[in-house]
Amino acid sequence: MFYRETGQFKTSYASDQAIFPIAQDRWFIALVFVVAFALVPFIANEYWLQAIIIPFLIFSLATIGLNLLTGYTGQLSLGTGAFMAVGAYATYKITTSFPDINILVVYLMSGLAAAAVGTLFGLPSLRIKGFYLAVATLAAQFFILWLFNKVGWFYNNNPSGSITAPPRTMFGIMISGPEATPMVRYYVSLIFLCVMGLAAKNLMRGRIGRSWMAIRDMDIAAELIGIEPLKTKLLAFAISSFYCGVAGALFIFAWLGSAETEAFDIFVSFQVLFMIIIGGLGSILGSILGAAFITLTPIFLTNFPPMIGLPIATDLSKHLEEIIFGALIVFFLIVEPLGLARLWQIIKEKLRLWPYPY
Amino acid sequence: METLYSIIAAPFIDMVSDPIFFAEVVINGLLTGVMYSLVALGFVLIFKASGVFNFAQGAMVLFAALTLVGLLEHGVPVIPAVVIAATVMVLLAFLIEKFMLRHLINQEGIILFMATIGLNFLLEGVGQIAWGSNVKKLDVGIPDQSFEWGGILLNTFDIAAAVIAAILVTVLAIFFHKTKIGLALRAVADDHQAALSVGIPLRTIWIIVWSVSGIVALVAGIMWGTKSGVQFSLSLIALKALPVLILGGFTSVPGAIVGGLIIGMGEKVAEIYWGPLFGGAIENWFAYMLALVVLLFRPQGLFGERIIERV
Amino acid sequence: MNAKIKKANGNAETMLSVEDVSLSFGGVQAIRNVSFDIKKGEIRAIIGPNGAGKTSMLNVINGFYHPQEGTITFKGNKRHDMRPHIAATQGIARTFQNVALFKGMTTLDNIMSGRALRMKANIFWQMLYFGPAQKEELEHREFVEKIIDFLEIEHIRRIPVGKLPYGLQKRVELGRALAMEPDLLLLDEPMAGMNTEEKEDMSRFILDVNEELGTTIALIEHDMGVVMDLSDRIVVLDYGRKIADGMPNQVRNNTEVIDAYLGVKHD
Repeated sequence: MFYRETGQFKTSYASDQAIFPIAQDRWFIALVFVVAFALVPFIANEYWLQAIIIPFLIFSLATIGLNLLTGYTGQLSLGTGAFMAVGAYATYKITTSFPDINILVVYLMSGLAAAAVGTLFGLPSLRIKGFYLAVATLAAQFFILWLFNKVGWFYNNNPSGSITAPPRTMFGIMISGPEATPMVRYYVSLIFLCVMGLAAKNLMRGRIGRSWMAIRDMDIAAELIGIEPLKTKLLAFAISSFYCGVAGALFIFAWLGSAETEAFDIFVSFQVLFMIIIGGLGSILGSILGAAFITLTPIFLTNFPPMIGLPIATDLSKHLEEIIFGALIVFFLIVEPLGLARLWQIIKEKLRLWPYPY
Repeated sequence: METLYSIIAAPFIDMVSDPIFFAEVVINGLLTGVMYSLVALGFVLIFKASGVFNFAQGAMVLFAALTLVGLLEHGVPVIPAVVIAATVMVLLAFLIEKFMLRHLINQEGIILFMATIGLNFLLEGVGQIAWGSNVKKLDVGIPDQSFEWGGILLNTFDIAAAVIAAILVTVLAIFFHKTKIGLALRAVADDHQAALSVGIPLRTIWIIVWSVSGIVALVAGIMWGTKSGVQFSLSLIALKALPVLILGGFTSVPGAIVGGLIIGMGEKVAEIYWGPLFGGAIENWFAYMLALVVLLFRPQGLFGERIIERV
Repeated sequence: MNAKIKKANGNAETMLSVEDVSLSFGGVQAIRNVSFDIKKGEIRAIIGPNGAGKTSMLNVINGFYHPQEGTITFKGNKRHDMRPHIAATQGIARTFQNVALFKGMTTLDNIMSGRALRMKANIFWQMLYFGPAQKEELEHREFVEKIIDFLEIEHIRRIPVGKLPYGLQKRVELGRALAMEPDLLLLDEPMAGMNTEEKEDMSRFILDVNEELGTTIALIEHDMGVVMDLSDRIVVLDYGRKIADGMPNQVRNNTEVIDAYLGVKHD
């Protein structure tokens, strides 16, 4: 009974179009922001930040990226890992060649590099549809990683073959490199997620978002309205890859610190795909929920059984993880193909009626 | 200029100057291709008959192989072990139909596809928990000897694989085109609801198809497992099947064979003759690039049906 | 009635003229040497038994199909090969027999998508939302709300179109076509599957669009009552050929037309 819309009438189209039209939602989001910005970094310990929260934020960003392409525009992509790799390697090359450019700006630049590559591999989408297009993205996935592996220039001919985040500062604070504290890296990831997430949400409520959904739902009809399929699809590939590219840069520079191409292999692509399926195709909130779910479950599986006195070997827990993921995906698709985001909506609807049953 | 020469001319010169070696490479490629075809065959069956792109095919191959190895390790003799493994696959088909397919009737293709992704992980996890995840050797008694034929080095195992694949394809082709069940399967692939409405027992059909596909997976598992050991990466072969399917079409049994042969041969030739120029390991992406190029010219693949969109 | 006769015989300019168009698919000839015109501001019905080539004709006008022979002149420009999105920019909008709505989007979004051609704000403003993008969005929202008002679909604004009953879907589709502010509106069986009440509503909408907005309309329809009442002139197709062309009364009494509908064979 506290979650009611009564009395909240929209008197202008502007307020009707708002992201959170219901006042209670606005309060909730404000609370989330306060917790995220003011509370978490001070009460979470380093392990939690490093192992759980930072990767969750970064994967959320990548998941939003993939969702824009696959969930909203309907173009199946299995190349997420590769586009993230482009972002990471581009950042590495740019910052090692031009160490004076602000590293945050470099992240954005590498996002653009990823966007360019994504557009290139999106070109086939004019002629090719559905599963067939997935093959084009697979080609991207395998080819790009092979390229980064073979051509020494990409990793500055470093004998270990891996790229490492060099120390970079901004306003005197260490933002990247071995000295950067988890708290700083947390804030960087959080800010990128918030800004880019908001941008994504804004995109979706306007003309571009509608044109993407139109292509997804019926591209022939979209053409009739004057929407140009190739341009629209390429834009989706570009923006999606931009998001994945920035996420990839953060992956190395704000989380892992260093990695080889394996860090971006096909399994990462599948991971992010699961996140959008479980979280909800075509939903920004869903992307975040899905990312939360998939980053948290392994930790849960490793830590929970010992807590209740049931130690499980790491090998076993990895396989259990697979089984649980697999079962959950099938379960979700049967019960709620629209994922966690839809479940959340249903909860809110029930909440509206509470304490009445209907 | 020299680089251009080495890419465009030199490899061909190499091929011609040592034709025996070239023939060896081609034949070995074709034989690898046969193995790809076996996996692709499983896909084609399920897609043809239920319209589902079964991403879990690779996991089924792995699962079948793991089951067989597990049985053999427990001392079960070869023939009964194979029979039991086949039965397990049929049982698996039952379970898949009961817990998954039944609930997703008439959903869009992409939903079904994603469900099979989930199934893929499920099977991998279960298989590895049940039978362990170390690499296992598989030996069902297929002769594995090298011999020479006209100066070309060959292997009895590979020949056996080719023969088995040929038999399998013939049997399946007859099944699909000459039997009543085959007709029903094709109807189901076209339209679930329509098939239901003319009285075709959808669920029975699905169980049949997934069983057959499971048995094909077992055969593929035996072949691959013998050749390179039974291990987790077996399920990645499924990804390679995608380019095969694109070339051969998603619904054509002979197409799966042709596609597999082309990919197998193409990969090997590219790796041997062009690989060194690029530092090797072209095999990782060659198949996908080839498929991509084909798609650009024929969006429906080499053998697929032209997609005509009607409004 | 007089107004109708006036419209048909008057000096209204030609909006669209189809000259000697032939279209075939593989071995099947869908349209053979058909010529007719549509005058500005009229409601032109295209009728004929099933398979006569009516939808194919609309598809040709739209740019989905390219005729092997013949030309199409729209607003004075002869055109040869047209793509659907160019047809859209030139002022042609269309509805379909099997509703071609974006099933995953709401009614409001579907109709708003009809304004796509008129929205220009670039991607950076879109991401920011506040500023030119919002201004544009709200302007077009106002326009679309007028259409929603007109079609009496306020109550289903935020419902995903896939969940609506067929009759309402057709109305939304009409709304989306209207959002494009077309000069020529092509309606493919807008009344299909509707009951009498719904047909009356739809007829009223179509008439209002024609009279108030002055939109030229080409209409495929099977319900003869509706056709006779609504249209200013009629073209009759049978097996891809034109067998009659004129005002409702003339067509109604044409023996060839009657035969075609009754299934009497001609060679």
